[in-house]
Amino acid sequence: MTAQLGRLLILASLLVATAGVVTGFANNLRWTRRFAYAFSALMAMATLVMEHALLTHDFSVGYVAQVGSRAVPMWVTIVSLWSSLEGSILFWGFVLAIYIAAATWLTRDQAQSMPYAIATWLACGSFFSFLIAGPANPFGSVSPVPLDGPGPNPLLQNHILMVAHPPLLYLGYVGMAIPFGFATAALLRGKLEAPLLGATRKSLMLSWIFLTLAIMLGGWWAYEVLGWGGYWAWDPVENASLLPWLTATAALHSVVMMERRGVLKGWTVTLIQASFLLTILGTFMTRSGVFNSVHSFTQSAIGPTILVFLAAVLIGSVTLLALRIDKLGNDGAIEGAVSREGTFLLNNLLLVLFTFTVLIGTVFPLVVEAVNGRQMSVGRPYFDAMVVPLGVALLFLLGVGPALPWGRVSHEQIKRALLPPLVGGAALVVIGLIAGVRNPWAVVTLLFGGYALQVMFASLLRGAAFTREAGRRRTGAQLIHVGVAVVMIAIGVSSTMRTQSEVVLTPGQSATIGKYKLTFTGTEMRDEPHRVSQVARLEVMKGAKKVALLEPRMNQYDAMREPIGSPDVYSTLGGDLYVSISSLESDRAALLLITTPLVSWIWGGVVLMAFGGLVALIPTRKPATVEVAVTEPRLRLMTP
Amino acid sequence: MNRTVLISGFLVTAALVGALFAGLGRDPRNIDSPLIGKSAPSFALKTVGSHEVLDVTDFRGTPVVVNFWATWCRPCWEEQPLLTAGASALKGRVQFVGVVFQDDETKIQDFLNQRGSAYPTLIDEGGKTAIAYGVGGVPETFFLDKTGRIVAKYSGALTPELLEKYVAEVTGK
Repeated sequence: MTAQLGRLLILASLLVATAGVVTGFANNLRWTRRFAYAFSALMAMATLVMEHALLTHDFSVGYVAQVGSRAVPMWVTIVSLWSSLEGSILFWGFVLAIYIAAATWLTRDQAQSMPYAIATWLACGSFFSFLIAGPANPFGSVSPVPLDGPGPNPLLQNHILMVAHPPLLYLGYVGMAIPFGFATAALLRGKLEAPLLGATRKSLMLSWIFLTLAIMLGGWWAYEVLGWGGYWAWDPVENASLLPWLTATAALHSVVMMERRGVLKGWTVTLIQASFLLTILGTFMTRSGVFNSVHSFTQSAIGPTILVFLAAVLIGSVTLLALRIDKLGNDGAIEGAVSREGTFLLNNLLLVLFTFTVLIGTVFPLVVEAVNGRQMSVGRPYFDAMVVPLGVALLFLLGVGPALPWGRVSHEQIKRALLPPLVGGAALVVIGLIAGVRNPWAVVTLLFGGYALQVMFASLLRGAAFTREAGRRRTGAQLIHVGVAVVMIAIGVSSTMRTQSEVVLTPGQSATIGKYKLTFTGTEMRDEPHRVSQVARLEVMKGAKKVALLEPRMNQYDAMREPIGSPDVYSTLGGDLYVSISSLESDRAALLLITTPLVSWIWGGVVLMAFGGLVALIPTRKPATVEVAVTEPRLRLMTP
Repeated sequence: MNRTVLISGFLVTAALVGALFAGLGRDPRNIDSPLIGKSAPSFALKTVGSHEVLDVTDFRGTPVVVNFWATWCRPCWEEQPLLTAGASALKGRVQFVGVVFQDDETKIQDFLNQRGSAYPTLIDEGGKTAIAYGVGGVPETFFLDKTGRIVAKYSGALTPELLEKYVAEVTGK
């Protein structure tokens, strides 16, 4: 019964989404909006039906029989909606539905481009409804009805971040459909004017914020769960989340150029299209089973369907772009290579180069295997060799760009703008050298990072003194940039200054790593309904002071023979002490001990980036804009 | 119409979609084994439920399917009916052998009593045979031709299509 109801709702959502596509491209705004709301309501109801089935352990529903279990805690039951293929696609549809309803509502006083934009969103909606109705149907009926199910994959039950990382990633991924809809509408009309541009920028920024947080939480999850003490492995699916983030970051910069100088319209639209297309590519990578990854589900039939969708959207976007890009035109020109504009351009080029580097590194193994049948993997050395110089160059621009004035700049101005922040860079290098940083790339990162931080802090201080002039957008961008500099410094230092040792301890024995002394005090068993954990207890001393009690553990789930290790971390601002178990018996623990400096600065820096994004999204009060406009017309463009 | 955009766009599209399409049938878990094309490591192991020792070299002259599995492995449960059906259907033409890895004999016996079997199941005490075959995880299945050479290997639960394909490779049909 529940299964049939869910399926019916999905079929109805497919119907109304398709109808909305037809009315939208026929330029009937009223009916298109109605269909958009109807689609959102139907998709949301279908998702609620599934959640209800999961919570009531209705094992007659296919997906519940596959991932449900009476033994798991309530939070695991709720999040099992996105713990396996079919449910995750339904959740995807749900997030899209929420976005479509919100974007349709928020643009209710805009008329001209909206039928096309909504039709584009509903075209995506109808594709996901089709997937849920057919190839990835979670509403199959099971007969005879089982009494209990296996529960979701234990690896996913092993950490509370399962609650936050996937939804944020979906919010980031699916959200890219909204600016894509606006960009498509702009191309179809051959115009990208103010209200549409504002909506495009805001929706892009919102997805960017979610994607930023999702990538960080993914890294944090890997760090907290996987036991090797790293946060990024260039896993194909990690790359899949980074790719649209890179192009969206480029687009957020080129939008500013468009607003200030009336240039790069076609380029910006291309970047927005690319960001959306890369999210579909990411979906393909996670859901097709073609890439081996901690994220991939088993081989599934939806791979070819998503590939057809990707190909169709790619061909459609390229054709539309080729037909219409010249209509968008450019109203202005870029003056001078050494100027703020020049650095924006270079930033865009580097980000696109970064995107291609990661994309090629990810897809290349497929090409090699297709050509000569040999399996290969492009590992960390490729990515590190290619990406580190690009990252460092971007960090350089992060400092130099905002330091330079807009427009044509004299030599004297350049000197005045660029020389003072060298103090900040030099100061950070000295601190780093004293703290033991020796890796040349890490030293360069400290130099450029310190430079950028001084530029940002100086302009934040100026902004704080003249709040009425500085729009929130600018402050938001500065906060984001401080966050980026902090993250890059922390990555540079943490990835080059990690120490590790493997030790075997019996109760009462101690081991020393860095400034910490760890004493193994014994083991303990802990029973929970869905797992049994064997916990190793370690007392951590720093000098004569006890600073922490670490409890790395081995979690044994019913559905798995081998227990899953779960590390424990003692975090301080200076660095982390990370302990994971290699093997554990009651009288003997084999442990991996790792110290890594500045790890928590990565998480903090990313949170600051997201916060800066939110600040930039808050609209500036109108009176401030008017006053600014009187004295400095150019600034008005920055505070719409 | 901007031809530069059109041509460069379609080049990127063709390259990307082409690469992904080529990868579609790919199964990343199916990792090549260095043993493919080489003579299979021989083993003589105790049969479950009896004290009889079975030597795999006794089957020379017949293609052999060696399936590493365990009762604690969920995908092994899924593929077991397929292997049993395959062994019955190919009786006399292809010999199936199950090798149980890191498991208790009583659990295996209970499992086989409940679900039935059509081929010998051997216990790999200490996992030495699995190590010799480079087994990374169960289920993993090796396909030996009649000379005892390893023709193919598959990691993960087999499907009827895959079983048919690999059996065709070892029987040469």
